[in-house]
Amino acid sequence: MKKLLFLVPLIILVSCEDALIEKPKSLAVETFYNTAMEVESAVNAIYGPLRSDVCLGGLYPAQMEAYVDYAYGRGSYGILSEFQGLDPTNITRTGQMWDQFYLSIRNANLVIANAPKGSKISQEDITKYVAEARFLRALAYFYLVRNYGGVMLRTVDNMTEQSLPRSTEEAVYELILDDLTAIENELPDTPSIAGRPSKWAAKSLLADVYFYRAQYAEAREKALEVIQSGNYSLVQVTVPEDFEKIVGPDVVVTTEEIFFLKYTRQAGYGFQLPMFAHHPGSGLHGAGGYYAHYTDSQSNPVFKEWNNNDLRKSYNWYNYNIGLGANSYLCKKFSDSEAIGASGAGNDNPLYKYSDILLLYAEADTRVSNGPTADGLEKLNMVHRRAYGNNPTQPSAIDFKLGDYNMQTFLDLVLKERGYETQYEGKRWLDLKRTGRVKEIIKAAVGKDVADKHLLWPIPLSELNFNTVLDPVRDQNPGY
Amino acid sequence: MQRLLLIIGLFIGGTTFAQDIVVSGSVTGAENDGLPGVSILVAGSTAGTTTDSEGRYSIRVPSSAAVLIFSYIGYVTNRETVGTRTKIDVVLEIDTKSLEEVVVVGYGTVRKSDLTGSLSQVKAKEINAFPATNVLQAMSGRAPGVQVVQNTGAPGGAVSVRIRGTNSVQGSNEPLYVVDGFPISGSNPTILNNSDIESIEILKDASATAIYGSRGANGVVMITTKRGKSGRTNVDFETSYGIQTLRKKLDLMNAGEYAEFYNLQAANDGLAPRFTPGEIEGLGEGFDWQSLIFQKAPMKTHNLTVSGGNEKTQFSVSASIFDQDGIVIGSGYNRYSLRANINHDISKKLSVSYGATLSRPRIQRRDNGGGNRGGSMISSILSAPPTLTPYNEDGTYRNLATAYPWGSNVLINPLNHINEQTNETVSNKVLANAAMTFKPFDGLAIRVSGGIESSDDRTDSYTTLNFLNSRGSASASVSQAIGLLSENTITYSKTLADDHSFTLLGGFTYQDYITKSLSGSGVGYLSDAQETANLASADVPGIPGTFYSKWALLSYLGRLNYSFKNKYLLTASFRADGASKYSAGTQWGFFPSGAFAWRLSEEDFIKDLPFLSDLKLRIGWGATGSQAIDAYATLNQLNSGKIVLGDALFTSFSPGVRLPGNLKWETTQQTDIGLDASFFRNRLHITADYYIKNTKDLLNTVSLPSSLGFTNTIRNVGAIQNKGFELAVNTTVFDKAFKWDIGANIGFNRNKVVKLYDGKDILGTAINITVVNDVLNILREGDPLGSFFGYTEKGYDENGKIQYVDTNDDGAINQLDKTIIGNPNPDFIYGFNSTMSFKNFELNVFLQGSEGNDIFNLSSVNQTLDYGFGLNMPREVYLDNWTPANPNAKYPVISRTTATFISDRFVEDGSYLRLKNIQLGYNIPFQNWNINWIRNVQVYASAQNLLTFTKYSWWDPEINSYGSGNSIRQGIDHYSYPTAKTVTFGIRANF
Repeated sequence: MKKLLFLVPLIILVSCEDALIEKPKSLAVETFYNTAMEVESAVNAIYGPLRSDVCLGGLYPAQMEAYVDYAYGRGSYGILSEFQGLDPTNITRTGQMWDQFYLSIRNANLVIANAPKGSKISQEDITKYVAEARFLRALAYFYLVRNYGGVMLRTVDNMTEQSLPRSTEEAVYELILDDLTAIENELPDTPSIAGRPSKWAAKSLLADVYFYRAQYAEAREKALEVIQSGNYSLVQVTVPEDFEKIVGPDVVVTTEEIFFLKYTRQAGYGFQLPMFAHHPGSGLHGAGGYYAHYTDSQSNPVFKEWNNNDLRKSYNWYNYNIGLGANSYLCKKFSDSEAIGASGAGNDNPLYKYSDILLLYAEADTRVSNGPTADGLEKLNMVHRRAYGNNPTQPSAIDFKLGDYNMQTFLDLVLKERGYETQYEGKRWLDLKRTGRVKEIIKAAVGKDVADKHLLWPIPLSELNFNTVLDPVRDQNPGY
Repeated sequence: MQRLLLIIGLFIGGTTFAQDIVVSGSVTGAENDGLPGVSILVAGSTAGTTTDSEGRYSIRVPSSAAVLIFSYIGYVTNRETVGTRTKIDVVLEIDTKSLEEVVVVGYGTVRKSDLTGSLSQVKAKEINAFPATNVLQAMSGRAPGVQVVQNTGAPGGAVSVRIRGTNSVQGSNEPLYVVDGFPISGSNPTILNNSDIESIEILKDASATAIYGSRGANGVVMITTKRGKSGRTNVDFETSYGIQTLRKKLDLMNAGEYAEFYNLQAANDGLAPRFTPGEIEGLGEGFDWQSLIFQKAPMKTHNLTVSGGNEKTQFSVSASIFDQDGIVIGSGYNRYSLRANINHDISKKLSVSYGATLSRPRIQRRDNGGGNRGGSMISSILSAPPTLTPYNEDGTYRNLATAYPWGSNVLINPLNHINEQTNETVSNKVLANAAMTFKPFDGLAIRVSGGIESSDDRTDSYTTLNFLNSRGSASASVSQAIGLLSENTITYSKTLADDHSFTLLGGFTYQDYITKSLSGSGVGYLSDAQETANLASADVPGIPGTFYSKWALLSYLGRLNYSFKNKYLLTASFRADGASKYSAGTQWGFFPSGAFAWRLSEEDFIKDLPFLSDLKLRIGWGATGSQAIDAYATLNQLNSGKIVLGDALFTSFSPGVRLPGNLKWETTQQTDIGLDASFFRNRLHITADYYIKNTKDLLNTVSLPSSLGFTNTIRNVGAIQNKGFELAVNTTVFDKAFKWDIGANIGFNRNKVVKLYDGKDILGTAINITVVNDVLNILREGDPLGSFFGYTEKGYDENGKIQYVDTNDDGAINQLDKTIIGNPNPDFIYGFNSTMSFKNFELNVFLQGSEGNDIFNLSSVNQTLDYGFGLNMPREVYLDNWTPANPNAKYPVISRTTATFISDRFVEDGSYLRLKNIQLGYNIPFQNWNINWIRNVQVYASAQNLLTFTKYSWWDPEINSYGSGNSIRQGIDHYSYPTAKTVTFGIRANF
């Protein structure tokens, strides 16, 4: 026993200073980004924030669907349907999205900066992964610039600088276009797995960027490349339920998919947006539902005037009494009755689908040609025919006729069709804003005047308060 | 173990031997009063007894040559040879040297009169006054400056303790708990049972806590478990049975009022009425959902302690059962624990001791707190329409979310939570400590000790197929934590030339702590039969998780206590801590302290003042630290995640959102000036302390512009200050046949954030209850920590909607208009204890309170202002809402478009005064019937939380929904499990 007495201190002395060295059993930043596998997992980390519940997986489209012409927000989203800007609750939400977009941008910058220095990675892999990172970075900036205007431009050159001024919108677009034009042909023809971008995804995004900036010739050209690739086609439907084969929770991939955020029916890895759509009594979502948006078949003119033969109308909406009268409709475009938890629906978020590009082409072509063309009309008709259960590529009785439209009425027609086609995808508001006619269209549809402050989100306090080169008044968006 | 049994057996057996002479008598003190509990030993044997409550005793001795030793703490031991006497009355003289008890301090003990620091002691009787799940609850109101707040009323719920305010933003603000010398790692010492505790010493000022260096900044709570004493074997048995009930129900609308209320809402919103007049007529009171889930719940305790020993060996062994059902059906907590302490002197120079506690707590939880619009259990019982009943006609649960189309989509029938969801944690906890002390010559003691702290938890949760929208989901997780401690100290005491006495302490210690966990889950089961026993059969198995973390702490410590003529006392201590958590180069922190005390009552000019018994002035200063970060916080680690591609999961790796940086200790410097005074022959004691605590190099979350991708980093910036005043008064009002002791204490603390990085506010995590999603708590320079930050209301507009003050006059109501609207920190906290005894009766009254703290009633945001979802509400909302005829109503217009912000409306005065315990005890006078093997049996009836005086409108003001060690979200009530009141009956017996 006495021996022990003297042994104990000895043991301690020997092990002492070593004990203070941390061995965390984890990966360290300093020794990562070397192999192709490591870089791929770092690329995967760019998707994480973008696809999360508080970003494109839930809050972003839920926010966007509260200020559209065909529906209304309810509960905490109700105030958005007044088009008078954001209240504190929704400012907190958009602030969360800001954080996620920039987290993705940081993760993209880490790949762009570190992959080329990798010690055990081929040049081919470096090119591939850097291209994917630049695609995703451009995507994130595209969302930011449309909703906030000019934002801080974080690139590999300034990724560790704490404070940056707001760049101009032009500078943000310059980076986006620079990224996309640089990599549009470096990405693979077909992605290694659905959910990663192909070169066609890059061209579609590029087309959309040009389109938003009214560079219609370039937009048309890029859209045409995608259409002519022959990689995509519209899935034919005959009854409304057939749309389940396109946007349903069990679909893995279709010929319409250009670039989707992929989700699977697993707690925490599913698409959260469907949860916002449903009423728990409908049984259309496994976890109930928030029914944060609704429309009214009588008081909403967009819905009321919509042709009942359009299969999208009966597929997308269901009548449900939510205490606001008998004419309330909820959106069931994205439904998963077997969803596991609020964030457990198997549906994907269709960021770029073939019909988007067809309709984009139809409009861009018309604007470039200063009037509707047979080519543009055909692209519109393809989408329209499919919606009425016809073969998309065969002329049909419900086709629009070239002679019935002038440039303006045709553009209106395409815009209307885009509205039907992109319902509940979080695209409508930006589409209306793009045309410059958003105030007029919203006033006509839901009778609300859109306040100027509603056009841009406020720069969140998480940025304004801590970015020392920003002036909290001058650098804030108007009205906030 | 066999040896241990043998030893115990020997001494129990040793108490029976040949009995020849019976000696009896009484032992009295200086004032001729009978002294109870005086130990009487037959010299050279293990035979002994103690005096009864009147000071009388009776003992059998083997022969007339026997010598009786009468000893009693604070008195000079008396030896009497029996001779021919059969009646020996003894008067014990007060031992002025050991008049005051010895108190436990870091790495040793010190006589109370020699104390130079600020320390409060809570004794066994107070700790064990009433049954409590958590020993910390027993500290509430017992010591000045010690704030104890339970986070929830749920059985087994955590308790947060703040000693002299809050120092840290990043790190834990919980004190360090030291159990029998072992600094434990968990935040609550739930391993212990109240009845196992001898005393709790709360070290408050830096001169007392600096010996714990980097862990001393929040104060140190020294818990000492019961030890055996030489003499007759003591058997203590205690049992109690209590009934807990909900303290009060909230006054909600009945069915008829509910129907009218929502017709009003429909009318205000231009919608068709929800109920016809005919329907309303038949509704009446409707269903009371509060009575559905609350029950009268039993709480039982049983405890048996056997202790004793001889001059060489002492032991104490105990077994305890604590069994509590919660007032919410299905919730509960029980704990089985065993404890043993053994001391043995191998020789005059060498002794060993061993102490171990094994404990098996089990917590059964029911969905607890949070949520909104009826989405959690507590919120559902308040929100459920009284017009509906829980069951459908076929006996199935009614789906409340779909019962009314205009109702809340998340409102869940609370029976789902009560009957269809379980969550249970069973832990095996061990705390064991062994020490060997070698005293080669008088005055020198070398102590080597080692300890193990181990916790092995398993949590199982299961949601049945019958739960709303459930396909069956199960999860199981295990967490293992093990800490090792080695402490090695040398103590040397010496008195030189009669006047100079000093004690030197030196030592080094090593402690580490490893946590590992493993978890699995699954969703989608065919049957509920398997519960969590077959995760693999899930339709969708979850991703397993594991975790690993380790920290180590290496320390050197030293202390000098010096006393000159018992008049001038000096303490100086020093500790160097090396912690693995910090960056290389800054791992070592040095924490010195010094204190000086002057016993004025020993001075000639004051010594003879007749009314003054003792007077001591103390002043001390010291530096302590806080281990405010987790292990690995300074390393650039990658976090893993999962994304979906195709239909499968892929792994991602990226840095977190916190940018790592080089970090060192945060340091708290505290100055304390104190006074201890006793008057009228020690019948009145006063202790007063004033302190200032300044924390610098505050480890702080520094927000970064979020566009950086890293949203924050931790830096050593900022400063926080706590200063305050504490007063404790204890007095004996009567001490004859009728005895009356009164103790009162009060603690004032002012907390102020002095400096933050770049002067920038630090915001707490946003509160998201859908109707409101905004930040509530803030750290701002010049304001108290965790202040409420929100909008200020200014009446209603012409439509009855709430209007807010545009504080910056920019014409818009936005986040720039938020100001400080409340302070969760109390102005002062206090306790009052009174014990009266007469003959065999004893009445104890214990009051405890808090004054000046605000509570943010988050529950009432949905519950009183969220009108679009058919939620039931307090009757007050029905009675007093805005109409053109009632423009100054308490509540705005009842409309689904009524919006609300985080505002001063929800800030309520959280002050309270509570009758924490009242107890009437009766000591059964067995000695009157000559039953001497029973020393004392007390039966009692008591009540806890019987009365509470508060303006707080919700269930209970003792609440802190988001309280935890490092939360700045203090003072929030968010659908918390309510606190119960309890009536207890019990027996305390001593044989």
